[in-house]
Amino acid sequence: MARDLMFQDEIKDAVRGAYAGIVTGAGERVARRFYSEDELAELPAGALAWALGVGDPVRYALLQPGESVLDVGSGGGIDSILAARRVGASGRVVGLDVLQQMSERARTHASEAGVDPWTEFRQGEMEDIPLEDGSIDVVISNGVLNLSARKSRALAEIFRVLKPGGRVSMADLTVEGELPPEIANDQSAWAG
Amino acid sequence: MAGALAERVFAEKLQGAGFTDVWIGGHRPSSIDETADYPLFTDEVIELMRRTIPPERHDHVTTGVIVKARKPEHGSGALG
Repeated sequence: MARDLMFQDEIKDAVRGAYAGIVTGAGERVARRFYSEDELAELPAGALAWALGVGDPVRYALLQPGESVLDVGSGGGIDSILAARRVGASGRVVGLDVLQQMSERARTHASEAGVDPWTEFRQGEMEDIPLEDGSIDVVISNGVLNLSARKSRALAEIFRVLKPGGRVSMADLTVEGELPPEIANDQSAWAG
Repeated sequence: MAGALAERVFAEKLQGAGFTDVWIGGHRPSSIDETADYPLFTDEVIELMRRTIPPERHDHVTTGVIVKARKPEHGSGALG
């Protein structure tokens, strides 16, 4: 029987547990669905295999050399690496993920891609971003906001860390109408 | 996906946080078969989707979108 997941902490634990429990990514199927051949060629195999997003937010972000970028929910690091290539060594990329093991994975992939000198990965929550006010030019995220039970709080945090005139480019899922209650209340459906 | 918003609500939340120039595009339908590629979904929930979602919607359960917005040069957001 589906359980009623009305409580924010329960949803957060379900999402965190689901991501912590996976031992492999989607095996490049997801990456090949959303990224161009040129972009795929820029990425190490591990980053491709751990792509779990729903689009290509970097393509739309129009990043410029020297810009600072925050990747909210950086996962295996695919979008952070692409962003790091766009902003170059004069820029800065911070990947934020709630799971330490994902940050470690992303760090390895960024090193393999050669962008690690200007790319860092931190553990933290999108509803409490560990960055100073007005410190970021561009926030990207990929399939992450839908995972939050406190979306308004997460968006307020993104707003806070952006510089005046800063911008966001997010890929996410939307729904029209309602999902069946059996789906809406299922932990696994919240996590993906 | 259970936490996905309707586009209109997504835009309203961005505006509520203080963002301007909200743009939503790049629409891409996502099917149950594509959803099954993500290791985050159990076989049970994929089967539950096939049973509870009308067959005519199996090829378009959710929509992937790109959402862009800007923080104004002046002014404050929802947290002040």
